[in-house]
Amino acid sequence: MDMELIRTLQGWGYVSMIFILTIGLYAYIYHLYKSQKSGIKDYEKYANLALNDEIDDCLVEGLYSQDEKKINRSVKNELAE
Amino acid sequence: MQSSNAINYDYTVAKYFTVATIVLGIVGMSVGVIIAFQLAFPELNNLAGEYGNFGRLRPLHTDAVAFGFTVSGIMATWYYIGQRVLKVSMAESKFLMFIGKLQFWLYIVTVAAVVVSLIMGITTSKEYAEFEWPIDIAIVVVWVLWGISIFGLIGIRREKVLYISIWYYIATFLGIAMLYLFNNMEVPTYFVAGVGKWYHSVSMYAGSNDAMVQWWYGHNAVAFAFTVPIIAMIYYFLPKESGQPVFSYKLSLLSFWGLMFVYLWAGGHHLLYSTVPDWVQTMGSIFSVVLILPSWGSAINMLLTMKGEWGQLKENPLVKFYVLASTFYMLSTLEGPIQAIKSVNALAHFTDWIPGHVHDGTLGWVGFMIIGALFHMAPRMFKKEIFSKKLIESQFWLQTTGIVLYFSSMWIAGITQGMMWRATDQYGNLTYSFIDTVEVLHPYWTLRAVGGLFYLIGVFMWAYNMYKTATSSRAIEKEPQYASPMA
Amino acid sequence: MFHWLEKNPFFFAVGVFVVIAYAGIVTVVPDFMESARPLKGVKPYTTLQLAGRQIYIENDCNACHSQLIRPFKSETDRYGKYSLSGEYAYDRPFLWGSRRIGPDLHRVGNYRTTDWNENHMLDPESVVPGSIMPKYGFMFDKSMDFDTAYAEAYTVKKVFNVPYDKPGMPKLGTYEEAKKAAIKEAGAIVADMKDQAVKDAYKKGDIKEIVAIIAYLNSLK
Repeated sequence: MDMELIRTLQGWGYVSMIFILTIGLYAYIYHLYKSQKSGIKDYEKYANLALNDEIDDCLVEGLYSQDEKKINRSVKNELAE
Repeated sequence: MQSSNAINYDYTVAKYFTVATIVLGIVGMSVGVIIAFQLAFPELNNLAGEYGNFGRLRPLHTDAVAFGFTVSGIMATWYYIGQRVLKVSMAESKFLMFIGKLQFWLYIVTVAAVVVSLIMGITTSKEYAEFEWPIDIAIVVVWVLWGISIFGLIGIRREKVLYISIWYYIATFLGIAMLYLFNNMEVPTYFVAGVGKWYHSVSMYAGSNDAMVQWWYGHNAVAFAFTVPIIAMIYYFLPKESGQPVFSYKLSLLSFWGLMFVYLWAGGHHLLYSTVPDWVQTMGSIFSVVLILPSWGSAINMLLTMKGEWGQLKENPLVKFYVLASTFYMLSTLEGPIQAIKSVNALAHFTDWIPGHVHDGTLGWVGFMIIGALFHMAPRMFKKEIFSKKLIESQFWLQTTGIVLYFSSMWIAGITQGMMWRATDQYGNLTYSFIDTVEVLHPYWTLRAVGGLFYLIGVFMWAYNMYKTATSSRAIEKEPQYASPMA
Repeated sequence: MFHWLEKNPFFFAVGVFVVIAYAGIVTVVPDFMESARPLKGVKPYTTLQLAGRQIYIENDCNACHSQLIRPFKSETDRYGKYSLSGEYAYDRPFLWGSRRIGPDLHRVGNYRTTDWNENHMLDPESVVPGSIMPKYGFMFDKSMDFDTAYAEAYTVKKVFNVPYDKPGMPKLGTYEEAKKAAIKEAGAIVADMKDQAVKDAYKKGDIKEIVAIIAYLNSLK
C-alpha cells in the first residue's frame, strides 16, 4: 500500500467516524427526550441517586432478586452476632 | 428493609486515600512553589546539590500533583461515592475490602519509589510518564486492582441504575489504562545487553513517532485524569451538598458521550492534508463542531443546578468551591481550543502561557473540586462537624487570589516572551537576545511564585482543618442529608 | 439499543473501548508509518554521545530546553535551519521539550564550542550574564556510565535494527571495542578542556560526565 492510499483511507475513516458519532449522539438525544416525554422512562428521577444515597433509602430501580439475597445475608449476619 | 440498617457504609479505604491526598498535595505543591521561586531566584537551585535543582524537581512536582494528589483524590472519592450511589457497603464484601486496602498500600509503595527515583534522576524524560519500567509495572498492578474494585462493587450493587458519576469513573479507568500502556512501551536494556543499570529502558518508538504517542498520551491523559473523574465528583458533590438534583440528568448523559467522542478526536487538523475531497473535509469540520457542543453541557448543567439557589453561595463555602471550580472548568476548556488555533499556537508554544493554562485547570478546577469534595466527605466519614467554617472561608479567598495572581502573571509572561522572540528591528534582525527575554520575566515569575505560595498556604489550612475535624471537632449524631455541618 | 447499554455496564465498557481504540488507530497509525524514516546523513549516536544524552535526560535538561526549531524566520534566524522529522530517527526518547525557559538546543553544536560549554556548565553566568540556569559543577566529579550507554546502543541495534556497524555508520562492536572507541573520542574533547581534575581523571581511564555531555551537545547539529 502506498502512503497516498493510506492517507485517503485515513481521511475517509476519520470523516465517517465523525459522521457516525454525530448521528449517534443526536439520535441518543432524541431517544432521551422521546422516552422521557412518552413516559417510557423518567430519566430525571435518576438525579435523586445522589441525593437519597443512604444505604436504607428507597432504591430508584432495585435489582430485586439480588437485593433479597443480600437482605437475607445481612439477617443471617445479625443472627450470628 | 429494616434489616439493612445493620449495614453501614465503610469508609476505611476512603479515609486512607484522603490522608494520601492531603499529604501528596502538600508534597507536590511545596515542590511546585520551590521550583517557581527557583526561576525567579536561581540561587535556590544550589541548596541540595544535584538533587535540588530545577530539572530534578520539576517532574517531581508534576507527577506528585497529577499522580499523587489528583489520583489519590480520585480514589478517595471513588471509595466514597461508589458505595453510596450503588447503595452497597464495602463491609459487605471481604474480598473488595481486601482489594481496596491492597490497592492503597501498593499505591503508597509505588509513590515512594517514584519520589526517590525522580530525585535520583531515574527518568525516561517523557512528561507525565517519567517512570522506568519497574514502576510502570507497579502502576499497572495498582490500576488493575482499582478496576477489580470498580467492577466488583458494581457487581454486588443494590441500585440497578448506574448514576452518572459511575460512568465517569469507568471511563477514567479505561482511558488511563489504555493511554498509559501504549505510551510506556519500552525495552529494558539490561535484559538485552547484559550490562548497565538494570532499571534502564529505551522507548519502543523513535523520534517523531515517540513524540506523537507521547502527546497523544499527554493530551488525553489530561482528559482522563483531570477532566473526566473531576466531573464525576462534581456530579455527586454539588447536588448532594446543595440539596438540588442535577438540573437535567439527560443533559448529563449526553454531555458524557459528547466528551468521550470529542476528546479522542480533538482537532480536525488530521484531515487537512489528506487526499479526501474538499466537501467531505468541510462536512467533517462542521460535524466536529456540532459534536463538541454537548461536551460543554456539564459545566452549564452545574450552574443551572444552582438556579434559584444562589443564596447558598453566600452561606455555604463548599458550594463556593464547587461553583468556582466549574467556572474554571469553562474558562480552561475555552482557553485550550484558543491555544490550538494555528497562529495563536505559533506565539504561545514554548512560553509560560502553556503552564499558565495548565494551572487554570489544575488549581481552579481539579484542586478546588478535590478540596471541596474531601471537605464534604469529612463529617460523614468521621461523624463530626467540620472544625471551622471561618477557616474554609479564608482558605477559599486566599487560594482564589493565588490563582488569579498565577494565571494573570503567566499570561503576561507568555505573551511578552513570545512577542520578544519574534521581534525584529527595521532591518529585519532579531531585536532581543535570548537572555533579554528571560530577564524581563523576573517580576512575573516572582508574582507567579507568590500566587502559588498563597495556594499552598491554603492547602495547609485545608490540611489543618481536616485534621482538627477528624480529631477534636464536635460529634454529630445523625448524618446530615445535604449541607455539611460546620462550626 | 441505548436502554440496553445503560443497563449493561460490561457492554458499555466494551463500547467505550472500541470507540477509543478506533480513534487511536485512525488518527495515529498512518502518521506512524510515514514518519521516522531517517534523513540521509543522519547517524546513530556513538556510545559517548549516548552517555551524554542519558545525562541530559537524567537532569531533565528538556524541562527547559527544546530541540525543535519551527519553520518561522524568527526561529531559523536564532537557532539555524528548521528541524525535519527524519533527523530524529535515532532519538529514543524524543527530546523536543515543551517549554523554552532556555534557548533551543537542536543545533547548538554549530555555534558553541567545547570550551564554551565547559565554562557554561560550571558557571552559566560566566558566559551568559543574567543566566538563570543552575550550575552543573557535579558533572565534573561524577564519572559517566559507559555500561548503560553501551547497553542502550546494543539494544537498539538488536531490537530496532539501528544501523550500527554498517558502512558509513558509527562502529559499535563488542563491549571492549566500544569502550576503547569511547575513550578515544573522549580524549579529543578532554584535550580541548581546561579543568585539570578532569584531565587527570581521564589519564587514569576515568571519563567524567561533563565530557560525555559536551560530546552530546557538540553532536547536535
